[in-house]
Amino acid sequence: MFKKTSLAAGVAAFAAFLFAGGSSIAAADEVDFTAMSAEELAEYIILESGGFHLDAAVQEGGTMRARMEQDDMQRACSVVGGGKPDAATLEAVRTAAAASITYPEGGIKLGDWQKGRELSWSGFGFRVGHRTDEHSGNRQPGGNCANCHQKVGDRDGGTLGPDLTGYGKARGTSDAMLKYVYDVIYNAHAYFPCTQMPRMGAQGVLTHAQIADIMAWLLDPESPVNQ
Amino acid sequence: MFRKALLALPVALALGATANAQKAPEDVLQGLIDSIDSSYLTQSEMNLMMMPDSPALWLIDDGKDLFHEARGPNNVSLETCDFGKGPGVLEGAFVEFPRFFEDTGRVMDFESRLVHCMKTIQGFTDDDPAIRTKHGNAADITKLQTYVASLSNGHAWNPPMDHPMEQAMRDAGEVIFYRRAGTMDFSCSTCHAATGKRIRASVLPNSNVPEEWTKAVSWPAFRVGHDNVRSAQHRVGECYWQMRHAEPVWGGTGMTAIISYWNDRARGQPAILPDMKR
Repeated sequence: MFKKTSLAAGVAAFAAFLFAGGSSIAAADEVDFTAMSAEELAEYIILESGGFHLDAAVQEGGTMRARMEQDDMQRACSVVGGGKPDAATLEAVRTAAAASITYPEGGIKLGDWQKGRELSWSGFGFRVGHRTDEHSGNRQPGGNCANCHQKVGDRDGGTLGPDLTGYGKARGTSDAMLKYVYDVIYNAHAYFPCTQMPRMGAQGVLTHAQIADIMAWLLDPESPVNQ
Repeated sequence: MFRKALLALPVALALGATANAQKAPEDVLQGLIDSIDSSYLTQSEMNLMMMPDSPALWLIDDGKDLFHEARGPNNVSLETCDFGKGPGVLEGAFVEFPRFFEDTGRVMDFESRLVHCMKTIQGFTDDDPAIRTKHGNAADITKLQTYVASLSNGHAWNPPMDHPMEQAMRDAGEVIFYRRAGTMDFSCSTCHAATGKRIRASVLPNSNVPEEWTKAVSWPAFRVGHDNVRSAQHRVGECYWQMRHAEPVWGGTGMTAIISYWNDRARGQPAILPDMKR
């Protein structure tokens, strides 16, 4: 699920330095926090100090440690104080994102907008800790779309992402539009490097079929989104 | 310098007491609302109405009794506990956390310090309900924390940065705040770096606006949806759960670093203690 190879030599060297520094340290008591940079100390606190429940089992298999270790995009797009990295880094993120996208056999088609409506509303899935989401036959991870996107008037969505009300009405369902929407749901960094939008396909949150259902919710002329 | 500080202390206490004596938590919040246009601060008219009758206010009295009562295997009160401003000094202590303590050699958040005193002074152990029970209105820790926090109501957040460890933890907390990870690539800044944004119907506080952020970090608070008073650690834990990250260990280095950065971002703004949240 996570691609751990580095975007650039500089990033790789920095990461190697961090991990080498971390693994050589035995116990918190022996470590001088003030001798580390803020970045080194943050990595140490998260991955080496026992400050987080890294041994918790996760739904995709393995443990939380893998989730807390950053992959290339996460590392490149984490900018202290906010903002975006430089243009070369953004381009590297964009290129890697485009290469990550896989397509369903038989091409991209719209699914069932009614299923898409429920998937876009559901914020269930992949949470671990004081209450752990048990993925099972009738309770699969949702798209979490409504957390951040406003879609139609019948249920309030968030405003962290753009308002998608009437999304398909203005755009239609051409092959190019289907590919664009599919790509953005699968890995939006292919168009908007270092976007806040989660990589729903690339991170294994949604299946090809679920993406098709959410696409129908956005693009199908029958969908309430476009009424 | 130390002697001078001691002499000045009673004066500061008297001034603090008169300045804040009449100020209820809802008055502190109203002052913030009047100072800035914020849809976060004003999002729940109902909570503003309910604050004078907040169940958290009952916990203050319970916590006060517990604090001054001789308890634990050593049968002593917590009156000698040093929360950083000297043994027994509670007024304004809560807004100066997290803080480095010489006796433990580490930066501690308030709850960790409270537990440290319950263990070292009163003789409680991790297995005693007084320490083991960390959640809910009935927990001793909730009551004690709400009492001590209430004595910082209206005081400006002022976590010390004099010790290099305090600065190091705050700076690491800042990096963690912006560090994307996990299934959804979220970081704290995903939700808390812009003004007036919403997750579903909830307006989010912006960490870059101290007048908003002070309410965000003002815990303990009565959490209406939980029908219980919760602490800062509950809030951090729930955010990490929603982010699909690993939860920080209670009282651990991650929790302390995050809260060090949190409280620093509210610096200078008055704390609302105890607060009421959705």
